[in-house]
Amino acid sequence: MSDRKGLQMEFSYVRCRVAETLPLELAPGSPAKRLRAAGNSQSFGPIPGRTKFALQIQHPPFLHNGNQNNSIHHRTTPPTFPAHTFAKLAPPTYLTAHLTSKGVPIRPSGRSPTQFRTPTCHAGSLTHAHGSAVVRCGDTAGVCGVRGEILRVEDVADYRPKMAEEEERVDTEMHSFQNVRREKREDSEEMARLGLLVPNLELATGCSPTHLPGGPPSTLAQTLSQRILTLLHTSNLLSVHDLRIWFRPPASAPICRGQEHEVMREEEEEIVKAEVKAFWVLYIDILFISLDGNPFDAACFALLAALCNTRLPHAWYDADRELVLCSDDPAESKQLHLYDMPVPLSFGVFEGDEEAKGKKWILADMDGFEEGLCRENVTIVVGEEKRVVRIEKDGGGNVGGRDMRRLVELAVQRRREWVLMLRDGPP
Amino acid sequence: MVNVTLSPLYRADGSATFTSNGYSVIAAVNGPIEVQRRDELPEEAAIDVAIRPAAGVGGVRERHLESIIQNTLRHVILVSAHPRTLIQITLQIVASQDDSLYPGNLPQAASNVPVLPALLQASILALLSASIPLSMTLTATLISVKENGGVAPSPSAQDLEAATSIHVLAFSSHGDLLVVESEGYFTMDTWEKVYAKARLICHGEKEEDSESEDLSMDTEEVTKLEDILKDAVRQKVAAEYRWKQSPDSAAT
Repeated sequence: MSDRKGLQMEFSYVRCRVAETLPLELAPGSPAKRLRAAGNSQSFGPIPGRTKFALQIQHPPFLHNGNQNNSIHHRTTPPTFPAHTFAKLAPPTYLTAHLTSKGVPIRPSGRSPTQFRTPTCHAGSLTHAHGSAVVRCGDTAGVCGVRGEILRVEDVADYRPKMAEEEERVDTEMHSFQNVRREKREDSEEMARLGLLVPNLELATGCSPTHLPGGPPSTLAQTLSQRILTLLHTSNLLSVHDLRIWFRPPASAPICRGQEHEVMREEEEEIVKAEVKAFWVLYIDILFISLDGNPFDAACFALLAALCNTRLPHAWYDADRELVLCSDDPAESKQLHLYDMPVPLSFGVFEGDEEAKGKKWILADMDGFEEGLCRENVTIVVGEEKRVVRIEKDGGGNVGGRDMRRLVELAVQRRREWVLMLRDGPP
Repeated sequence: MVNVTLSPLYRADGSATFTSNGYSVIAAVNGPIEVQRRDELPEEAAIDVAIRPAAGVGGVRERHLESIIQNTLRHVILVSAHPRTLIQITLQIVASQDDSLYPGNLPQAASNVPVLPALLQASILALLSASIPLSMTLTATLISVKENGGVAPSPSAQDLEAATSIHVLAFSSHGDLLVVESEGYFTMDTWEKVYAKARLICHGEKEEDSESEDLSMDTEEVTKLEDILKDAVRQKVAAEYRWKQSPDSAAT
């Protein structure tokens, strides 16, 4: 044991080359069982101690003349390393060894290449937010809070009420898919112009070793915020109709009906029409407590779970006080309606180490270790009826047009799982 | 319609302007230069992309575009040829269609996809102009899908407003798909149509065993983007080597 420690300390001097890897010995049982075993043991290897890798070490000359203790004996039997040491020394080789293991390719986490992590979710745990969710996806965990604030129409610089009221018309003849789409697009355009959805994503200090405390938001955090924002607007998840706060003049006073029709009509003409006086602005804050790969998918799940959980209080405009008032009766509050469930699935493409030239593995829902080794990323977001909402891809040319359909199928499969989970709660 | 100028700036190591479809971008490349200790990579060159919008200062939108371009260029540039150095790419958007789409200031949620092809194209041309070793070049195009399902290449601002989905695809000179940014609502059948069309525009040929026969609709001659870029570079090189030509060969 002590000489192994010594070897590790001397590693900065030793040029080592991974010569051969012993066949991987994997935990028995179903993939789920293995996954659990891997999750408990908090290490990269399937089961520490079971998986050993052989390293052939070229000893530097000074080891032979100075204090040479046992190291010479290792020439005949190469020293073995626990899996997590190997993972740190030669990450690409370690991952390649897993993916090329006998039988089925398997990832260090015990998942198959296209298997994704099942998230767990606890909704409604923040009392001050209108909707919230705590989500965990493997070792990636985040909190999402949704809070509604009121934006008065007077405060909007160039508010054009025409656009808002025009849509009030009852659309009887327009019900084809295209027209509905067009209307929704106009909706989301108005939301974008007014800035009614304000997502912000923060990576907490200590969520991963690469995030140093202090400093401005990292590029990753900014990129993720922007991606969430564009997803909210292009997926037609929410409608501006549900965020409008109306001024409705008192209903044509039923007491005096039948008596003074003439007067009523005159009065009605005087009464202002119902109009939009304010909007709900949803501040959506996502905070990552822990980051172990694939923050976008986890953020989306947190977002969807929090929006499903959001109840906005009943709000109306009071003409006498010229204020927007909210009812504090929970029975009057209204659940936010979600028109679609855009579900993302991110992939990475791993090209293997130097010896595995020309091969590629598409890994779904990567963890932090795999993310460090993959440069090509693909994210697919699917909505209802197998329609694709977004495809994003950059960083390499391995995934071509022909692979895309297969990846979309996987995303559709994941959407089915997520929708069940979000609608009915955890199984 | 596509307008390319190589090396318009004489202080930068390399520069280019690219104008197409209402978007105009000027790019400058400096590199390989010394890198800050913090950003230094032991085995490869660090790539720094900075985007300046047409009006105002850059924000979160620009950070997102920068990260897409940085990821892509890291694959395109032979980064291992210049370890522990920095290659700096500055992109200034000169004109964009957003001005007509959003009078007043641009909302943050406005789609940032349409300007991406011009940015990618300008950065690649500037890298060529700076003689940075590349493993490939790339060509990118913008395509919108109309409500009737028709595929419209080089859409105008009105087309973009009315489109059900917008797609940016970039192909390498080997014909590999490098970048995709698709947004809107679409089926995979539509996407494959867009993919085939974009490949035809950028790379000029269909995939060997692609079964999409509905491509015959565009019988008109499409000058592929790759050739336009090649011509621009060829003309520039020819102009620079004019002094080498003997007077009689120049006459012919």
